[in-house]
Amino acid sequence: MTGSEGLIVAENVRKTYSDDGVPVEAVRGIDMVIREGEFTAIVGPSGSGKTTFLNLIAGLDSLTQGRVWLAGRALGEMSGRELSDFRRDNIGFVFQAYNLIPVLTAEENIEYIMLLQGRPREERHARVLEILEMVGMKGMENRLPGKLSGGQQQRVAVARAMAAKPAIVLADEPTANLDSTTSGELLDMMRDLNRTTGMTFVFSTHDRIVMERARRIVVMRDGMIAEDSRQPGGPPQ
Amino acid sequence: MTGKLLSLALRNVLRNRRRTIIAATAIGIGLAAMVFTDGLMIGMSDNLIDSVTDTWLGDAQIHREGFLTTYSPELLVDSAAEVLDRLDRDPRVVASAPRVLAQGTVSSAADLRSVILVGIDPERESRVSRIDDSIVGGEFLREEGGEGILLGSKVAADLEVGLGDRVVVTISQVESGIIYQDMIRVSGIVETGTAAVDESMSFVSAGKAQEMLGLPEDGFQEIAFTLSDRRLAEQADSNFWAGYSRGGNTALGWPDLMAQLDAVLAMSDFSTLIMAVILFGLVAFGIMNAIFMSIYERIFEFGVMKAIGTRAGRIVSLVVLEAAWLAIISIALGSLVGLAATWLVAQQGIDYTGIELSGATFREPVRPVLTLQQFIFYPLWVLLLTALVGLYPAVHAARIRPALAMRRSL
Repeated sequence: MTGSEGLIVAENVRKTYSDDGVPVEAVRGIDMVIREGEFTAIVGPSGSGKTTFLNLIAGLDSLTQGRVWLAGRALGEMSGRELSDFRRDNIGFVFQAYNLIPVLTAEENIEYIMLLQGRPREERHARVLEILEMVGMKGMENRLPGKLSGGQQQRVAVARAMAAKPAIVLADEPTANLDSTTSGELLDMMRDLNRTTGMTFVFSTHDRIVMERARRIVVMRDGMIAEDSRQPGGPPQ
Repeated sequence: MTGKLLSLALRNVLRNRRRTIIAATAIGIGLAAMVFTDGLMIGMSDNLIDSVTDTWLGDAQIHREGFLTTYSPELLVDSAAEVLDRLDRDPRVVASAPRVLAQGTVSSAADLRSVILVGIDPERESRVSRIDDSIVGGEFLREEGGEGILLGSKVAADLEVGLGDRVVVTISQVESGIIYQDMIRVSGIVETGTAAVDESMSFVSAGKAQEMLGLPEDGFQEIAFTLSDRRLAEQADSNFWAGYSRGGNTALGWPDLMAQLDAVLAMSDFSTLIMAVILFGLVAFGIMNAIFMSIYERIFEFGVMKAIGTRAGRIVSLVVLEAAWLAIISIALGSLVGLAATWLVAQQGIDYTGIELSGATFREPVRPVLTLQQFIFYPLWVLLLTALVGLYPAVHAARIRPALAMRRSL
């Protein structure tokens, strides 16, 4: 495998944890290619290794074995600082518990990554307004996370993930804390964004609502890929 | 970014207001205690120095070289009249008084006491020392003087004499060594509260002392003087001293004249320093504890911040800035409490009157002294210390591995 085969290329990825001295193989030799524009769900029961795998392809955790390329760059060859900047510029994250910075307003949360990138104030403000409209949160920019519902917070989290126009958005159980209606609305919104912007989305989930909307479903079991299927209408392979 | 980081740090500090207030109060009390202690030590030190210099010593003195080690009465200040004239014209000098000093005895029908017989110029002396204010019976020597003798209160008590009684003063004349005796009427009793004066000094007019010792009219062993700025006395390397230390004379400020007191004061400065180290050490651990609590509470948040691309250095800056904000709030609180406590105690003072320390006696209640430095240096210490101790938790936060911090999520 080479890094140019896809947006994300995972080659023989393995991760072994030590749990009180007992080695636990969370991911056991996964090979996977995710191409640009995909809307992929990695599904599986708890403990199947999907979150660990997502951490590994995001460069949030170190590999025990194997290699990961993201946008053509080998993550294992980067220094901590390079990896940090690389994540900032190329990966958007959506978390299960929203994880917005509670003391920052919606606008400030969304512009945070652009601020780290050193983008000028006017550009940041324009992008925030644009993205808030895209996620249906226009007019809420000055609200603190505590003043928003769970669904609204997750929309802001999606907006934050997309604000810096990353190559890929990684979402771990983004609907776990939302009711089914809100989950459906959020997923529809993300799918629309995928269609209109061509941005790649990868989910780790066991929510049917996500699976119903995904165009590629990767089933993980015991740290390995058990099934990899594509829905009609996905991007060309 | 710096402005945003400052704002984010402040908001984080204010996020848990109760904890911030408790931590800031603890740190602030430490600072207030330091301000108060420093003020009290300055007040105590000033009080003792005032007591020593105002009572008798003066801010500085001029002697013939060697006099202070031998107390030989023949070691007279060289060109005393000229020196006095120069002191009178020197704008840094407020007043000066020449003194004749000699060992002698004073006896009564009841007893005999060894004393330092001091010949003074009453008019000049009243502007340098407080002997005239310390008369508890009788009157101070008159300008023309000559007839009376002032006895230290303890000397008078030991000799069992009172006002109007006659005592015999015995002294050895300088040139000839002939024993000179004179019967003099007690015209006043002096009680300064300083043992060195009350227990062993007796005063006559300078003319009388010169007559008894067989000294010329400008024969003095000591010239005491006061300075417009007493801090000059502590600057031993100032050329002021060289200007008066010539022709065989030596000019010394009070720290050299009262080396024991100076050492005690230096020791108290050292004690203050030790206390500062202890207090600031406690403050440091208080800050570290508060910051660590805040970090552990937000470990997940730091994981997220790192995940989305916040560099470790920026996390360090954020936590250190949070510590700095906590310090600023604490400084505001501590300075206010320190100012109020010091000011309030200074209104009444703490009564140590009569207690003697290294030859100096507290004459007035000790009043803590407020100085601008207390509100510049100590707060700066707190700020710097906070930033310094904030570094440890900051580095800890920056080293958090996002995957570990967010184990339950991405």
